[in-house]
Amino acid sequence: MKDFLFLALAAIALSSCADVSGALFAGGDGTYDFKNDYLDSGFQVDESKIHLLDLESGAEDTIFALYVGDFAQIATDTIIVFLHGNTPSMDSYWQTAGLFANLVNKHHYGFIMYDYRGFGWSTGRSTGAESMAADYDAVLSFLQTKGLTSDRMVVVANSLGSLPAGPAAAGESRIPIQKLVMEVPQSTANVIMQNATGLSLPASMITSYKFDLSQNMEDYPGELLWMHGTEDDVAPVETAEAAMQKHRGTYYQEAVYEGAGHGLRWDIGDEEWSKVVLDFIRR
Amino acid sequence: MMKIKFSAVLAVLIVAVSCTPTKVIVPLKQGQWQIGVTQGRPQINEGYLPVLGAYAAKGVSETKTNYGGIQFSSLLLGAVQLEAGQVATLIPQQGFKPGVSYSYGVQSFLSTRDYAFRFYPEAGLNAYLKGGPHILNVSANTWVDPTWFLADFGRGQFFAPSFSTGYRLRYKWFEAQLEYKILNPTREIQIPQAYVPNTSGLGGKGFFYGIAINF
Repeated sequence: MKDFLFLALAAIALSSCADVSGALFAGGDGTYDFKNDYLDSGFQVDESKIHLLDLESGAEDTIFALYVGDFAQIATDTIIVFLHGNTPSMDSYWQTAGLFANLVNKHHYGFIMYDYRGFGWSTGRSTGAESMAADYDAVLSFLQTKGLTSDRMVVVANSLGSLPAGPAAAGESRIPIQKLVMEVPQSTANVIMQNATGLSLPASMITSYKFDLSQNMEDYPGELLWMHGTEDDVAPVETAEAAMQKHRGTYYQEAVYEGAGHGLRWDIGDEEWSKVVLDFIRR
Repeated sequence: MMKIKFSAVLAVLIVAVSCTPTKVIVPLKQGQWQIGVTQGRPQINEGYLPVLGAYAAKGVSETKTNYGGIQFSSLLLGAVQLEAGQVATLIPQQGFKPGVSYSYGVQSFLSTRDYAFRFYPEAGLNAYLKGGPHILNVSANTWVDPTWFLADFGRGQFFAPSFSTGYRLRYKWFEAQLEYKILNPTREIQIPQAYVPNTSGLGGKGFFYGIAINF
């Protein structure tokens, strides 16, 4: 017993309480070489409408955002706010930007995406809910000053992007979200922990980032489109479904594709993907 | 600064959390102490972090050994993971007829962030052949999750079994240990953006190494 007590005390004394939430983020270098040369023929944009922005996030950091469209559009048209997945930078989503810029017809909607801290050229380091919320708010602050209103904003969150989108939808967005697309979202921090260990361990054993999209969706009053593939091994469909179906807002739609994986758009094709998203935006 | 991949962190968790190495297979002599360090190496598609732990064991009789251990890797991640238990001889080895020992104990976890606490009783059976300093074993062990209902979306399960085979070289003052474990083959182990080698789509796998001194 004495030995066990000694071990217990030693454990508490030795505990460094390192937080691994930073390890969740796969931020890296970016080139930001946003040119038509790298877009499919159907996704070409007017290169004069490509705008790279740097925005202050929090007290010390600068994040980079890409806006595709006319700035004047922000005060009058629908704007897509895209929160990208866990890749080193928004470079990986240039095709996505081209797709959104060509929904309906060329530059029908304005489109903005941004790099979280530590991704691409954005400074600092993403560490969890606080940094993610600050980065999102920096983008929303910019859009708000340009005249964007709630009824013309559509938030599209891909994978990792679902983490800041959840709390924002639940009421933390300075422009309230009325339309939200959750594409291959995660569910809760606990699920990641429990799927890795097979035990009922809470995420607080390794991180202070306790995201809970099921609670966020329960608190989100607006419209939701959830898109997922049944073979997603990054964000399991079963738990994502359980989280998304907590939604009690004004409208709920799910588009689940048999055999599709985490790269949903590539698996189901741009045509199907665009149709579902566009129908949701227009409804 | 070294960049730690989330998948690697979770890989550590698979081994450090869901299954620690088997501490003692053949009970120590009465009054004998064994102090050791263990390292686990979870199999994953890329990279790994060393899963380090330490334990102390004492032979309380010729057939029973008590042990206690700590996982340093869990500690570094912010969880105090302690274990304690007993290994006892069930059937002594007779010639080439393997001996059998059983173990029971408990694993406990305390989050240093919000003081969330979990404990998992465990029990296991070991069949072993000891010849001179060489010990071969096959083992089956299961953790019991009494708080399975606390898992999100009702995905908890009551048992978390593991199966292993190992080799130990035990001298009077020294012991070296090598063990291969199949972890939790009753459910799919998932780590975002990583592939976990499995058994028919279930569980994980890992190697464990250990060295110990006896006195």
